[in-house]
Amino acid sequence: MLRNDFKLAWRNLLKNRFFSLINILGLATGLACFILITLYVTDELSYDRYNEKASRIYRVNSDIIFGTTELKLAVSSDPMGATLKKDYPQVEEFARLYTSSGSKLIKKGNVFINEGNVGHADSTFFRVFTVPAISGNTNTALNEPNTVVVTKSAALKYFGTTDVIGKTIETNDNNGTLYKITAVVKDIPTNSHFHFDFIFSMDNVDYNFGNYLSHNFQTYLLLKEGTDPKEFDKKFIEFTDRYVLPQAKQFMQVNSMEEFRQAGNKLEYHLMPLTDIHLRSDRVAEISVNGNIQYVYIFSAVALFILLIACINFMNLSTARSANRAKEVGIRKVLGTERKTLIRQFLTESTTVALLSLLLAIGIALLALPYFNRISGKEMSWTLMTTTGFLLLLVILPVVIGLLAGIYPSFYLSAFKPIMVLKGKINAGAKRSTLRSVLVIFQFATSIILIVGTIIVYRQLNYIQNKKIGFNKEQVLLIEGTGALGNNNQAFRNEVMRIAGVKSVATGGFLPVSNSSRNDNTFSKEAVMDSKNGFNMQVWRIDENYIPLMGMEMAMGRNFSKEFKTDSSAVIINETTASILGYDNPVGKKIYTSDVNDPAQSIEYNIVGVVKNFNFESMKQQIGALCFRLGDAYWETAFKVDPANMKQLVSQVEKEWTKLAPSYPFSYKFLDESFNNMYRAEQRAGQVALSFSVLAIVIACLGLFGLASFMAEQRTKEIGVRKVLGASMNNIVSMLSRDFLRLVLVSAVFAIPLSWFIMHRWLENFAYRVNISWWVFLLAAILAVVIALLTISFQTVKAALTNPVDSLRSE
Amino acid sequence: MIKITGLEKIYRTEEVETVALNKLSFEVKEGEFVAVMGPSGCGKSTLLNILGLLDDPDAGSFLFNGIEVAKFNERKRADLRKHNIGFVFQSFNLIDELTVFENVELPLIYTGVKTSERKKIVENVLDKMQIMHRRNHYPQQLSGGQQQRVAVARAVVNNPKLILADEPTGNLDSSNGNEVMQLLTDLNEQGTTIIMVTHSEHDARYSHRVIRMLDGQTVMENIMA
Ligand SMILES: Nc1ncnc2c1ncn2[C@@H]1O[C@H](COP(=O)(O)OP(=O)(O)OP(=O)(O)O)[C@@H](O)[C@H]1O
Ligand SMILES: [Mg+2]
Repeated sequence: MLRNDFKLAWRNLLKNRFFSLINILGLATGLACFILITLYVTDELSYDRYNEKASRIYRVNSDIIFGTTELKLAVSSDPMGATLKKDYPQVEEFARLYTSSGSKLIKKGNVFINEGNVGHADSTFFRVFTVPAISGNTNTALNEPNTVVVTKSAALKYFGTTDVIGKTIETNDNNGTLYKITAVVKDIPTNSHFHFDFIFSMDNVDYNFGNYLSHNFQTYLLLKEGTDPKEFDKKFIEFTDRYVLPQAKQFMQVNSMEEFRQAGNKLEYHLMPLTDIHLRSDRVAEISVNGNIQYVYIFSAVALFILLIACINFMNLSTARSANRAKEVGIRKVLGTERKTLIRQFLTESTTVALLSLLLAIGIALLALPYFNRISGKEMSWTLMTTTGFLLLLVILPVVIGLLAGIYPSFYLSAFKPIMVLKGKINAGAKRSTLRSVLVIFQFATSIILIVGTIIVYRQLNYIQNKKIGFNKEQVLLIEGTGALGNNNQAFRNEVMRIAGVKSVATGGFLPVSNSSRNDNTFSKEAVMDSKNGFNMQVWRIDENYIPLMGMEMAMGRNFSKEFKTDSSAVIINETTASILGYDNPVGKKIYTSDVNDPAQSIEYNIVGVVKNFNFESMKQQIGALCFRLGDAYWETAFKVDPANMKQLVSQVEKEWTKLAPSYPFSYKFLDESFNNMYRAEQRAGQVALSFSVLAIVIACLGLFGLASFMAEQRTKEIGVRKVLGASMNNIVSMLSRDFLRLVLVSAVFAIPLSWFIMHRWLENFAYRVNISWWVFLLAAILAVVIALLTISFQTVKAALTNPVDSLRSE
Repeated sequence: MIKITGLEKIYRTEEVETVALNKLSFEVKEGEFVAVMGPSGCGKSTLLNILGLLDDPDAGSFLFNGIEVAKFNERKRADLRKHNIGFVFQSFNLIDELTVFENVELPLIYTGVKTSERKKIVENVLDKMQIMHRRNHYPQQLSGGQQQRVAVARAVVNNPKLILADEPTGNLDSSNGNEVMQLLTDLNEQGTTIIMVTHSEHDARYSHRVIRMLDGQTVMENIMA
């Protein structure tokens, strides 16, 4: 029975080759998109779940407002973890990470290699996270200073073997500290929010430990089974009163947290589940660039919609064709075939098509995976498709799609009354179907939304890249790791300045792009700090060349200068700081901060200038308070260069470097690249959105093409008659296009408000954003219309050119 | 009004070459009612298509109102056609999705007549054909005779000088057939030239003259009483 069904189905597919091809191609493309996006979404959702205790691990986040914009930190203070464990039995274990140094130079043979995946951790790290040991005992591995745990890859890279316990590695910390390898662990999975190759002992962190007011450590808590994290969150109020407040009192006049809050400030701590970090956290001091749950939602929706569009093609073409098959059905019915049998036959047919499409789709997905990885910034392997869940999906999907897509046409067809069909009365109805119109509208509405989305994402990215950001990011060459030059730093600068095309040099340790060094401190307007006059502010060390090199402008006052001996106690503030202080002219006024060595003692600075505001973080954030002090942030050096012959220039700089620091890696970057990297997630989203919009439109057009050719075929006789009666080619083309055009326009009516709403929500992520202008919608609608017209034009023009004699003779 | 000389039409397919019209010549005067007869496949429809400017001949001359139109391009033919020629087919060829009124209105739309005028003209014609009461019906709701009357109405709505009818009664019973023939005769009496293809000697008797064809050639022309 079933075999016979399949045989019949196959024969029918071959008989209608053109429509079968359109069906299978469209569905396969849709399924391929669906497969790829499902892989992507599964991967995004799997982050950090490899940890056996993942459901009980939380990170402490800090939300701080002190006189200026809110700081949302992924880090907290160093004593916090231990204190919480001591005071609260709910805390089974804690672990801290310190990654502020960012990267380390590690010596291999005679040269140093710059390693970015490094961090310092408490020895409890391995009790909280699941990082299995290959050799050594991770429970005690980091108990002592000068110890390090390495991954298998790192061991192989440096020693060519994993048998490295007891060997030492040399770093650039503190004049070449030697670390002893105490354990080798498996590589950390890619779906983790940290990717360390080297985990060093916390004891080697050069830090003024015990400070509740500085936030520099990622703190993770492992809560005991059954602890309610929401309840535990409330304990932070107690904690703040008991430990943070007394330390704050040492350098400022504050009596209670209540008073601190009433002045408009905030100091709050909250638990964030480990499994939320990758998708729901975009804070200052994240260990990695995280994903974004919004994109997971958006891409999931896109995957579903593309699949729907493809299924709709299938349904539309099948119902449209039902007119042609009506006769077959009528005759079969007259011959006594039961309705049940007919339905089964049609469903077999649609499932066969779905199965064929799936096979093709898997092929397409495999071929497209490398490209998809590139645009989405992932490293997914095809083996992800072989998980049980995924295979199950691959089995169920075609059946469900086959049924879904086949059910309407099959009931529609099998319900035909044989008499009507044989009399030829069904044809008229089959040409115009409301359901078909609704489905086409749905397809085009989705396409228009995708077009609008893509345009707006690209406009926002363009806006960010071209906005007046308050500095000139072009033509700035940054040499990294210039700390390694030691006393040769000035010599290096002098040599490089001699190279043709190098215009100026400045210290570049602090840069107006995220992931550069940051240093903030508390300041006050009056000598005695209290909750009202105090505020938090970035303090950057720059030299007198920095402001002109970066193309920043002074709003008031002057830049630092070698001529003023007193500039060591001078500051230049930005406009945000100026407005916090509230002076008409802040130049000549003072600000105060407490002495690190004696918190009760205050230090005063003279404001000598106000620099115009510039964006120093991503444009998702407002511009906060910032000041410059004279100093040398020597670990990076900035050169303003002529962009002509850049390659040659860089290689000349490298030559100077190798002369002065032969065993250290030469590493450079451009400021504009670092700037663009801040928006990588958005750029990827843009590319993914663009790719899938194009695909969605292609699939929708494929359906439209099929539908248009079907309509033209159905109406050959009518077209012939009209031509005989004097219709011109234009008359015919516009008649055939009009119906489709109307559908596309109705789609636009639905799509425009919806896309406005969605994109408005997305833009809210940015503190600085484009306006959604009306022409975007107009453009999207026009694009949809043009694409639809072009798609059907082939068929309509062909139909219009047919000699009516030919179409009328076939009587 | 029509003068053809040495008209040729040859259909070529992969295997065979069919000479549908073989050096055909004759003349039709304004106001004439001519019947074309002949066995199936002798080229009657082919001739009518060329006379109706739907198709072009491979050779020969075709003078329409004294103008040589054999070499006209598609656009020029279409223009000449829609103002001067009406068609009636054996299978009616009404458009199923349009009402009687809309079907009859179509030629006026394509010749660019204004909406208000169209309404008047169409109603006038429907009235004459006695199908006014069916104006809002769809073709499938009408009998064959009624459908052919709509088709005739549509053919004459533009006031063409020439009506070409290809077996207009082929699908009708004799009483409906006679009604249609009467309509054509009335039109002819009002001055319209008619060329009609038919297999029925009975229908041919309504005409002034019969052109008999065989294998793409005229074999005989006889004047009816
Ligand atoms: N498009 C075409 N391609 C090939 N051969 C054609 C074509 N149109 C007509 N013919 C051939 O030309 C010849 C004349 O056809 P035509 O339709 O004019 O005959 P007819 O006299 O109208 O016949 P009937 O009385 O059956 O309607 C026939 O042999 C036919 O097969
Ligand atoms: Mg014929």
